[in-house]
Amino acid sequence: MLKTKKEIFINEKRPHESGIKHVSGKAHYIDDIPEYPNTIYGAIGWSKKAHAIIKKMNLEEVIKSQGVIAVVTSDDIIGRNDVGPVYDGDPIFTKNPKYFGAPLFAVAATTTELARKAVLKAKITYKTLKTITTIKEALRKKSYVLKERIVKKGDALKEIQRSKHQLKGNFTTGSQEHFALEGQTAFVIPQEDSDFKVYSSTQHPSETQQIVAKMLNQKSNSITVETRRIGGGFGGKETQSFIFAAICTLLAKKTKCPVKLRIDRDDDIIITGKRHDFYSEYEVGFDELGIIKGLKVKLASRCGISPDLSGAINERALLHIDNAYFLENILIENYLCKTNTASNTAFRGFGGNQGMMVIENIIDHIANSLKKDPSEIRRRNFYQKKKKNITHYNMKIEDNIIQDMFDQLLKSSNYKSRQLSIKKFNAENRYIKKGISITPVKFGISFTTWHLNQAGALVHIYFNDGSVHVNTGAIEMGQGTYTKIAQLAAHALGLPFSKIKVSATRTDKVPNTSASAASSTTDLNGAAMLNAIYKIKMNLKAFVKRKYKIKNSEGIYENGMVKFKGKSFKFNQLIKEAYFNRVSLSSSGFYTTPKIYFDKKTFTGRPFLYFAYGAAVSEVVIDILTGENKILQVDILHDAGKAINPAIELGQIEGGYVQGAGWLTMEEVNWKSNGVLTTHSPSTYKIPSASDMPEKFNVEIYKKGINNESVINKSKTTGEPPLMNAMSVFFAIKNAIASVSNYNINPKLDAPATPEKILMSINKLKRKI
Amino acid sequence: MISNIISFVHNNRIIEIKNPDPNETLLNYIRTQLKKTGTKEGCAEGGCGACTVILCDFKNNQMNYRAVNSCITFLPTLQGKQLILVEDLISKDGSLHPVQEAMVKFHGSQCGFCTPGFVMSLFSMFKNNSKFKDETIKDTIAGNLCRCTGYSPIIKAAKSLKNKKKIDHFTKNENNTLKLIKKINTKSIAIFKEEKKYFAPRYLEELKKILKKNNDSDFLSGGTDLSLNVTKKRKDINSIIYLNSVKELNYIKNDNSYIEVGASTPLIDFEIYIKEYYPDFTKILKRYGSPQIRNVGTIAGNIATASPIGDCLPLLLSLNAEIVLQDLKKTKTLLLNKFFISYRQTKLKKGQFIHSIKIPLVENNIFKAYKVSKRFDDDISSVCAAFNFKIVKNKIEDIKIAYGGMAAIPKRATHCEKILLKSLFTEKIINKAKDALDEDFKPIGDMRASGQYRMQVAKNLLEKLYVEVKQKKIIGIYAQN
Repeated sequence: MLKTKKEIFINEKRPHESGIKHVSGKAHYIDDIPEYPNTIYGAIGWSKKAHAIIKKMNLEEVIKSQGVIAVVTSDDIIGRNDVGPVYDGDPIFTKNPKYFGAPLFAVAATTTELARKAVLKAKITYKTLKTITTIKEALRKKSYVLKERIVKKGDALKEIQRSKHQLKGNFTTGSQEHFALEGQTAFVIPQEDSDFKVYSSTQHPSETQQIVAKMLNQKSNSITVETRRIGGGFGGKETQSFIFAAICTLLAKKTKCPVKLRIDRDDDIIITGKRHDFYSEYEVGFDELGIIKGLKVKLASRCGISPDLSGAINERALLHIDNAYFLENILIENYLCKTNTASNTAFRGFGGNQGMMVIENIIDHIANSLKKDPSEIRRRNFYQKKKKNITHYNMKIEDNIIQDMFDQLLKSSNYKSRQLSIKKFNAENRYIKKGISITPVKFGISFTTWHLNQAGALVHIYFNDGSVHVNTGAIEMGQGTYTKIAQLAAHALGLPFSKIKVSATRTDKVPNTSASAASSTTDLNGAAMLNAIYKIKMNLKAFVKRKYKIKNSEGIYENGMVKFKGKSFKFNQLIKEAYFNRVSLSSSGFYTTPKIYFDKKTFTGRPFLYFAYGAAVSEVVIDILTGENKILQVDILHDAGKAINPAIELGQIEGGYVQGAGWLTMEEVNWKSNGVLTTHSPSTYKIPSASDMPEKFNVEIYKKGINNESVINKSKTTGEPPLMNAMSVFFAIKNAIASVSNYNINPKLDAPATPEKILMSINKLKRKI
Repeated sequence: MISNIISFVHNNRIIEIKNPDPNETLLNYIRTQLKKTGTKEGCAEGGCGACTVILCDFKNNQMNYRAVNSCITFLPTLQGKQLILVEDLISKDGSLHPVQEAMVKFHGSQCGFCTPGFVMSLFSMFKNNSKFKDETIKDTIAGNLCRCTGYSPIIKAAKSLKNKKKIDHFTKNENNTLKLIKKINTKSIAIFKEEKKYFAPRYLEELKKILKKNNDSDFLSGGTDLSLNVTKKRKDINSIIYLNSVKELNYIKNDNSYIEVGASTPLIDFEIYIKEYYPDFTKILKRYGSPQIRNVGTIAGNIATASPIGDCLPLLLSLNAEIVLQDLKKTKTLLLNKFFISYRQTKLKKGQFIHSIKIPLVENNIFKAYKVSKRFDDDISSVCAAFNFKIVKNKIEDIKIAYGGMAAIPKRATHCEKILLKSLFTEKIINKAKDALDEDFKPIGDMRASGQYRMQVAKNLLEKLYVEVKQKKIIGIYAQN
């Protein structure tokens, strides 16, 4: 495959760089790293109460338990007893637990099983306190993790009043457990000088390093964090991995032994935060065409006990409440609810999708009330190219392609004719109803926290064989960033893919990295890596110029050759020669995202370098006797710019859709009113399985896609945006429900649309008929 | 011969483990003793499939490559089998197995953590089926969760295997493997390890003797429920008697009035057999659990656990199945309807074991079963319902209705049955029968469904039954494909 004449590497469907290792069990995750013989194993004891004061914690039986070597509590922490990334509020060990699952202590024992057995022997006396678990309770009691925020543009209230039509309603989207197949894991090896080597399954090695250092009251240079790959992240290891790395290090410090802490699945789900569920109340004014004139939204989210990343997540929700629609007059109140539940955190979409669902639900409501096809109402409200192109945060949209994509998909999916045959089907079938919906996606790319939009890289070329070693801050979590970075490097150097090695992400190789998050990982780290290669190329060019008296010629790197004007080298030859002439063949690289700025106070600016677009048509079938539902067909058209590796992008698009469909249909996180989480294992929490995949799954990458901004390969990321294509599933279900009333009544349906919610929605509808 | 050494075949040789801890899981052994880390722990409860390995045995004159969840398999049950791990699929010359090759080629892995499990499940399909349909693929991987790919590339990889040659290095070694399996398959197992005991008798008589001395033991069959005491509750199970080693209990008989199923018959064998007689039973069994569960789980196990949401139970109740209990001296047959006492409590006494289940074969009856859950595959029922009746001269006769998920035990809907019995099969009577369900059940809510929803679905399933019987077709979203 690679022996073609011209090797380009990018725009090429390459398998995942670890594909062969994945299928043969040779890819090492944290738990697979060969252990030292003196390695011991940890487990965490956590609070069984959602809000309490620990009156007494008797750990005698724990200490006496078979195989136990050490126990650590908050008393063992000499530095910062908190893993909060931005604010405090996430204690490592607490004496005042504020959620069911708050870590209280940990043990190290000779085996993982003995450690897990030991923690159950703790005798803990709680004084239980009142709990707040739901958004509504928190709103009522004004229990917030951060101050509320108001975003305003134009005069929404006036415009709503002046509008021909008004609607009011409320809407909820549910939480979601990340359920990465690899659970939270850390492995820590004490080094000399009280240093620690921390292997962590994390999306954020640099912050792990800082947090561990602060906990130990040591300098950051004494902690090295390394991550080769993680078995799925989805946001669940952006900050939620910190506490495990911290506790593991604490155990290693106390025992002076290598310690592994692999968290049991139930403990993992109980201890860590999930996706923010959102509750919104809206009031919208629109004209007879369904064009929104004014919108007022009260937007509240369940943040759990602490701010964690909730500020940024709610901000992204606010920044995406427009999705692809021009909203001239808008007033949003945003409340960040503090509840006695695990601190909710990043999850693919990062609040963006929750914001987008709010407006999609409103548009759907408008369409149903006007008895119009929602796709028409969507089109009419789209941002336009020359006018109506300023967002509610005052950013001019310069790369708008949604209209074109939407129309292309309407056509290619046969939306209109299918809609007709569905109506016919529904008229003929009393118990089984079908529904169809098309929804657009516009998702802003960049960290909304300005300083995070930077990345570093380190590239070495070894002189003896010309092989290349690359390190960046990117975490490989399945999204294929290592593959894409290696493809970019191979392309830049004109070398075969096999000569490039992207190796583990380490804080001592590339410092001060940002989390692999915000869909920006390859954009940022790929560019930093190219910058490093550029610098090495500059060294080589200067050398060639000096030695061979070649003027003003850029080297062309292709097919293992480097060509200057009038002089060509074999790559290896040039590298060897350069080495013997004392030329540096190694360089760091750096990249910062251009153009972006954002004033958080006025909520205006350009928070995003570009937008990624998508559109999807989903067709579903529901059983009105049971509420069971199934996706029959999906047609997705997604924008990946000029894709670096179309196979990988396709995988992200398909996988994102299914994950999003899970969020909006079957995945339901459930707490009792006392804050006890009842869904914490695959037997109680259901993520989609193979049968839930639509029978017809048509995915196309938008052929005209190109990134107008200066982004690597003119590509667009496919990290988070494809998840939102699944919004169409939810509205297709709503469409199927609406058929029960012959499309005369707008059904009330909250997400996730479980069989039960669907049946209850039908009940309500029937009562109104 | 009774031995405390567990012998199994791995990579063309016999491996022996002397006196292992009977509570140790196969997954733990693989990762910590064999030091092979390709097999992953995802959930430690058999719910995600990341730990899938193959246990191969010789049955019906062929090698059976059965996918199991190693996280909930107790190590001693390895006795007499061939263990195949993901690492073993690669040939000596380093080339990938066709299944592995397809997964790479079709981009079947992203983060890669679930991948070894998928590879093993697909490997079992590849080995056990000379031909397979698309449904087989989805059933094969129903117990493997992937959070990255959305399954599409994995299914494409699986489809590509349809045209692959089935000969691999396992085929080439089959004779040798068989020789080794036969060599070690000659012993019963008795382990005494500190406070723990484990017995794997080969014969009924042996089982009885063991039971006499150890009547405080827990019976282990598929272990898909029992093992959770160890992996989740972190308790020790001090005395285990393994039933699936008793060959005499692994059978299906049919005398034209009853189908009799031996206690240790795996569900996966039963679901194939029963299809001819009660197709809906097979339909429900396919959704009972993943192949990894059905490969080891048994009907008797499902009955003994007596879970209110055990999917076989309403079906068996409505079919008026009988349960054959044995103790040291005698055999006793009991109507299953009389077997369940209260939540997870049965009439099984100490010193007694389930020998078999007898399912009456009736003619001209209508048997229908429904399962409603959040997810189609490998999910626990919100409501499971089974209806068995006849229509004689437009009147309903011999009606037996049972529900799961509606009470603390799987239970017959006797009030509802009473309304329907001898009535004309009309919409009106169905509506009355619906109301009668309020007298039969007071379902409670949990994380799966509210009590209100369960009741409404229970009623609506009666309606579905009525319409389906009247219209002679299946009405449901899964009939749309």
